[in-house]
Amino acid sequence: MINVSYPLNKILTALAKAHVTRERLSDAELAGHDLGEAEKTALLTGDIRRLYDLGANPYLIRRVFRPRFPI
Amino acid sequence: MAEIVAAALASHAPLITGKPEIARPEQRERLYAGFHEMRRRLAAARPDLLVMFVNDHLQNFPYSNLPAFCIGVVDAYDAPSPGGSKLMRIPPRKLRGAPRWSMALLEAGLAAGFDFAYSYEIDSWDELAVPLHFLNPDGDIPVATVYTNCAAPPLPTLSRCHEVGAFVGRFARSHAGASRVAFVATGGISHWVGTPETGRINPEWDHWVIDHIERGDVEPLLRLTWEQIEGDGGNGGQEIRNWVALMGAVPGAKGEALAYEPVPEWITGCGTMWVHA
Repeated sequence: MINVSYPLNKILTALAKAHVTRERLSDAELAGHDLGEAEKTALLTGDIRRLYDLGANPYLIRRVFRPRFPI
Repeated sequence: MAEIVAAALASHAPLITGKPEIARPEQRERLYAGFHEMRRRLAAARPDLLVMFVNDHLQNFPYSNLPAFCIGVVDAYDAPSPGGSKLMRIPPRKLRGAPRWSMALLEAGLAAGFDFAYSYEIDSWDELAVPLHFLNPDGDIPVATVYTNCAAPPLPTLSRCHEVGAFVGRFARSHAGASRVAFVATGGISHWVGTPETGRINPEWDHWVIDHIERGDVEPLLRLTWEQIEGDGGNGGQEIRNWVALMGAVPGAKGEALAYEPVPEWITGCGTMWVHA
């Protein structure tokens, strides 16, 4: 079964729509979102591989964490 | 009744126009030449409607509501929007839609068992904005869209995409709302976007796809699973659903590769193909 995290994709969609790009997110940006501990940690550290493994959509990962990608 | 006057397939990637300077010049120029030849042939065919098989990149359809297939019934497309314009380095513009034709397609589809979603507002990213920058530079040809979910799995099967395309083809031929219809599908070929393998391109798989379309042999493509495409073509390779839908709209047609370049700087196996409809 395909691994999808709705909480991660919800926050990343909101940030992508606002054209936010970050190396890592801040506590303030996570406020009000219903995220698990692993999801919070991955967002706060900008761990793009972990986000992928947790079920974040890769298009959204790239949009928001663009500075993390060498290309 | 309408005549199908043209059919074409093209990759889309924001960096094709957004960062042309980072690609190797010879690759860029060969690929641009493919787009220009496609534009020349399309203009010669004098279509009065462009029917586009494309996909969203989560800029329109969020995870709270994700259609497998969606008909754009918009008056005008943002292609690109001011936000997307910065990334694609294309001036923001509005492209005329074909809402009456699209509504007729929607109604006919629902009546025939194709349960399309529909949208009155579409913010186009590279799926429309980049190829139409080359193919419809004056914006004088109205655009109708069939959006297929290629980016947020689980995705519709390629076989179903082909059936949808076949239906759109039959509708286009029979409907009086346009007389000279061109089909254009965008996306693919292999690319990995935002995954741990971002930047990977698989030219071998790209040529396999191109070769099958050149022969008009789409059956092997219809049998591809999501997992197979994810492994060989990447998450971006899932966009060949749009190509397969177009091939359904022009049964028996054979393709002709105009250009193919695996461009690492644009992280995409970029192809342009003419389809002899």
